[in-house]
Amino acid sequence: MSVGALTKKILQAMLFHEIWDAMKVTFKHMFHRPITFQYPREQRTIPDTHRGALALLRYDDGRERCVGCDLCEAACPSRCIKVVSAEDPSLPLQRYASEFYIDITKCVFCGYCVEACPVNALAMTKLYEFSTHDKRTLLFDKTRLYQIGERYIEDGKKYLIAHHQEKDDQMSREYRYYFPQSVLKATQAPPKHLS
Amino acid sequence: MALKPATNPDVEAAAIELTIDGRPVTAKDGVSLYDVVSGTGKIVPAMCYHYTFDPFGSCGMCLVMVEGKKAPVRSCTAKATAGMVVRTEGDDLFQARKKAVEKHLSVHPLDCPVCDADGHCELQDMAFLHQVTNLANAKQKLIPEDTRSLVLDFNMNRCIACGECINVCKDVLMIDALQFVKKGGFTQVVAKGDQPLSCEFCGDCLAVCPVGAITNKFSKYLYKPWQLQKTTTTCNYCGDGCQMYVETKDREVVRVTAPLSWKNKWGDRSETAKGHGGICVRGRFGFEYIDSQARLKQPLLRRDGQLTETPWLEAAGQVVDRLAAIKAKHGPQSIAGLITARCTNEELYLFQKVMRVAIGTNHLDSSARYGHLSFVHAVRRALGVGRMTNDWEDITKAKAILLVGSNITETNPLTSVRVKEAIRVYKAQVIVVDSANTNIAGLASHPLMVRPGTEGLLVQGLIKSVLQQDLVDEEATGRHPKAFGALKKAAAAVSLNQVAAQTGVSVEQINEAASIFAEALRSIVICGEGVVRGAHGYRDVLNLVDLAWVTGKLGKPGCGINTVTEEVNEQGAVDMGVAPEFLPGQARFDDEAARARFAKAWGGESPASLPAAQGGARLIEILAKCRSGEIKALYLIGENPLATLPASMNVKAALEQVELLICQDPFLTETGRLAHVVLPACTYAEKEGTFTNLEGRVLRVRQAMDPIGESLPDWHILTAIASGLGYQMDYESAQDIQNEIMKLLPGYYNLGQPRKLAPKPDAYLADGYATEVKSRYASLGTRQSSMKANRFSLLMGQLLSHSGKLSTHAPGLIKISSNAGRLHVSQADMDRLGLGEGARVRVTSARGSLVLGVQMDRTVMPGCCFFPEHFNEPPVKDLMPVEVDAVTGVPSFKLTQVTIEKV
Repeated sequence: MSVGALTKKILQAMLFHEIWDAMKVTFKHMFHRPITFQYPREQRTIPDTHRGALALLRYDDGRERCVGCDLCEAACPSRCIKVVSAEDPSLPLQRYASEFYIDITKCVFCGYCVEACPVNALAMTKLYEFSTHDKRTLLFDKTRLYQIGERYIEDGKKYLIAHHQEKDDQMSREYRYYFPQSVLKATQAPPKHLS
Repeated sequence: MALKPATNPDVEAAAIELTIDGRPVTAKDGVSLYDVVSGTGKIVPAMCYHYTFDPFGSCGMCLVMVEGKKAPVRSCTAKATAGMVVRTEGDDLFQARKKAVEKHLSVHPLDCPVCDADGHCELQDMAFLHQVTNLANAKQKLIPEDTRSLVLDFNMNRCIACGECINVCKDVLMIDALQFVKKGGFTQVVAKGDQPLSCEFCGDCLAVCPVGAITNKFSKYLYKPWQLQKTTTTCNYCGDGCQMYVETKDREVVRVTAPLSWKNKWGDRSETAKGHGGICVRGRFGFEYIDSQARLKQPLLRRDGQLTETPWLEAAGQVVDRLAAIKAKHGPQSIAGLITARCTNEELYLFQKVMRVAIGTNHLDSSARYGHLSFVHAVRRALGVGRMTNDWEDITKAKAILLVGSNITETNPLTSVRVKEAIRVYKAQVIVVDSANTNIAGLASHPLMVRPGTEGLLVQGLIKSVLQQDLVDEEATGRHPKAFGALKKAAAAVSLNQVAAQTGVSVEQINEAASIFAEALRSIVICGEGVVRGAHGYRDVLNLVDLAWVTGKLGKPGCGINTVTEEVNEQGAVDMGVAPEFLPGQARFDDEAARARFAKAWGGESPASLPAAQGGARLIEILAKCRSGEIKALYLIGENPLATLPASMNVKAALEQVELLICQDPFLTETGRLAHVVLPACTYAEKEGTFTNLEGRVLRVRQAMDPIGESLPDWHILTAIASGLGYQMDYESAQDIQNEIMKLLPGYYNLGQPRKLAPKPDAYLADGYATEVKSRYASLGTRQSSMKANRFSLLMGQLLSHSGKLSTHAPGLIKISSNAGRLHVSQADMDRLGLGEGARVRVTSARGSLVLGVQMDRTVMPGCCFFPEHFNEPPVKDLMPVEVDAVTGVPSFKLTQVTIEKV
C-alpha cells in the first residue's frame, strides 16, 4: 500500500467519512416530496388501463349486455369463469347468462375475458379493495358483478376505451346483437345500423 | 342424377383410371369425382356434400382443375371419367374457394357467439381456413326465426342454402318434409308448404346442417360444443340399438347426437347399408328423462302403509332379510322375478344367475315374453337359430321384402330406413301386410291392407298361392318330399277366395305378392308386432318359415326370416337365459349337459344345484301363482306389469297378494306404488354394459354421467342382494360380469359384429313337421268377420315418439306427442258415425266399456280404431282380452272387437 493511499484512509477514518457518505442519502431525501402516502386515507390515482375487479355492464336502456356466449369462460386461462347460458324466458330467442360466476380468488387479472367478449359486456374496474373475512364472498355471482358494473360503470367504459375495445358509446351500441324475431311474436326491433 | 352407389349387389361397376395430383388412381365408373378424390385421402372442402345422398353442388367449394377445362369445376357434380387429369391443390383453387366462402359469409350474420353451432360450424372452419376477412359487401337478411316447430328452430339468416337438410330428408329418410322457398329475396328452407314442421322429427336435418340454421329447441343456447362431454353409447329405446353420443355438461344431459353429421361426410353410399348413422326422434329428443326430477333418488320402504325414504343399508337389509325369511319358510319356489329387456346383458345374466343360484328358483321372465319369444321359439323349432337371420345390410340389399304386421317406421325407425333405402336405392319391391295405412305401406310397392288380426291368414294365403301358381323351389322341397306332401295336404284346407274374403285383399293381389316374393333373387321376411304379439304369433312365424322354405329362400344369401323388437335388449334377454326354458346362450334349461356346465361354472356340484328342470313359471304363470298365493315374493326390475297388462289379468290382486314386492326402477311406477320396497336404479346413461340389438350385434353402453341421487346400477344392487343372501359375488364392475359371460358363451360378443346364422331347417322338416303342419293350417275359417255398423277392431300399438312406458317420462317426447286420451278413428268412420274431432264416444268390449274422445287418424283403416299402448289414461288396455299362447306363453292383448257409440 502506498503512502498516499494510507494517508487518505487515516484521514477518512478520522473524519468519519462513511457516516457522512450515508447521511448524504438521508439529507437528500429530506428535500424530496414523500413517496409513501397515507393509504387508506389517501388514495392513489389509478390509470385507466388498470386491471381490477371484473364487472358486467349494461346498455343505456338497462338491458344486460352479456349474451351468455361462454367465450370468456373459454378464454380464461385460470378457469375461474362459469357461465350458464339459456334462452331468456321473458324475451324469446334471446340468449342471456342465467348464471355467471367469477371465482376472483383464482383470477389472475389477465383481462383475456374482456378481450374475448364480443359485446363488451365484461370490463375491468379500478376496484381492488375486495378483501374479506369470508372467502365465499369472493365467488362473484351475476348480481355482484352487475352491482360492481353499475357502481364503476365509468371505470369500465374507460377501461374498454383504454384497451381499444371500443371508441365510444356509439360503438358499444353497434356491438349489440340483433336476435331475430320469432315468426310467432315480435321480440326485438332490428337496430338502426342494421336496418 | 343417380350417381350412387356405383356398385350394387347385382352389378359390379367397371374400373377406370385417372390421374389426381400427378398420381394414377383407379376408381369405379360412374361415381362422382369428389368421391374419387376423397377416396385417395385428400380432403377437398365441400359444404353441401354428404355421402349419404347424391351431390347437390350448391356451395362451390369442392373446386378442382381438370385438364382441358379453363375454369375450376365442381368435383361433386362432375362424373369421374377415364383418363381425367385432375389437380386439387394450388393457389388459384385456394383463391376460388376463398371467394366462395366470402360469398356465403357476406349474407351470413356474424352472430357466432350466440349461435349453437359455434365451434361446430363448417362455415366458421372454412372462413378460418381460407383466412376470410374481407366482408365489405356484407348484407343482413333479418329473417324472423321459425319457432313454430315443436323440436327445431329454423334461423334462416344463417342458412347457406346447401340443401343438405332437404336432401337427407328426401333421399335418405324418404320423409320429404322440407323444401326451398324464395321469400323476401332469399332462398330459405321451410317445412313443406311453409307450415309448422310436422314430420317424423328424426332430427337428421339438424345433424347435417353445417351452420346453425337449424337448431335443437331442447338444448337451445344451453351449451357450446367444447363444453360438452361426449359419450358414445347405445340408445335404449327400440331394438335397433342405434349408436349415439350422449353429450353432458356438469351433471345434466344437454343433447344427444349421432354419427350422422356434416363432420363425417366422406364415405361411399354402399356403406349406408349398415346404417346411415342417424337416430330417430326418441333417441335424439327423448333424453330428458335421464336427469328428470321424477327420478327416484333414495330407496323407499313401506312403513305403516306409506313408502318412506330409507337409507340404502336399511332398505337392502330389509330386502335380504325378508327374502331369506320367505325362502326359509316357503322354499325358493315361492320367489319369482321379472326383468325388463332395457337392462344390459350383464344385468340380465346376473339376474338369472341370482334367481337360479342365490335364491334357487326358476320362476323368472323378461319383457321379451310380450312378443319376441314367439319369434325365437318358432325359428328355434323350425330353423335351429335363436334370432333373426339377416342383418341391416341384407335388408338394404334385398330385392323383395315381405313386411308382415309391422308399422316399422314407428316401432323401429332405423330399420325402416334400411327398408326405405332398399326401396329407393336398390329398387326393392316391398309387400306390406298390415291392418293400418302406415308410412311404410305408403312407400311400399305392394301395400296389402288386411283386416286386423288376419295377417296370419294372409300368410297362409301366400303359401297357398305359391303352391297354386307353382312357384315352388324344386330343390328345397325335393329334399323333403314327405314334409312337402304334408304341407300340400294341409294347405288344401286353405281356399284363396276364402282368405281374400276374410282379409279383404283380392286373390290377384295375393297371387302377385306371392310371385314377387318367390321370384325375387333375395327375399326377406320381416314380421313385427302384428304377428309376434298376435294371438297366433308362434304359428304365424312358422308359416312364414314355410313360405320361405317352399320358395327356396332358406339359407340363400340375402334371404331370411326377421323380426323387429320393441325394447332394445329383448334379444339379449333371451340370449342371457332370462326365461324359464333357457339357460344363457339359449341352451335348453332341461338339457342335462348344459345344466351340468352352468352348475359347475356357478359353483354348484351337480346339475341338481340348479332349480328343477321343469316347473319354471313364465310371466303369466308367475302372476297366476302370485294370485294363488304360491309365490310369496316378487322381484321386479324395471317391469311394470300393472300398467302393461289388461285389468282382466288381475295383476293388482296378484301384486297385493304377495308378501314381499320389490320394485327396482328409475321411476316410481304404478307397480312401484304397491311395492314394499322400491330400489332406485340407474338408467342406461349412468352405467356400463352391453345391449344386443335385433341383428344380434352386441353394442357397448357407456357411462355418460354419475348416477342421479343415490341410485345404483342394477348389477350393483343384484350383486349386493346375492351376497347378502349368502352367495358371495365379487363383481366390482360390469366388466367382471362380462368376462364371466365371455368365458361361458365364447364368441357371444364377437367384437360387436353379429355372426352370420345359417338356418338349419332339415331336422324339423325331417322330423315333426309332417305331424305339426296340419294343425297350423287347420284353424282357417273359424274367424267370423262381423261387419255391423258400429263394430270396430280396437288395436293398441306403438307411436313413433314413444317406446314402452319409459319414454312417457321424457318431457320432450310428451311435448311432441302427448296423451290426448283420444281414440284414433278413420275419417270415413267419423263421417259415418257423425263424429267431429274430439267428440266423445262409448267404447264397449266384452271386458268393459269406457267413454273417451275421438280424433281423426289417416293411418287407421275404416272399421278399425287405434289407441297408443304407452298411455293408460283412459285405461283402454283394460278392454282387451288376453290370449296366452300354449307353446310360448306369450300373452296377446293388442286386438279386440268393440262397439262404438256416440254419447
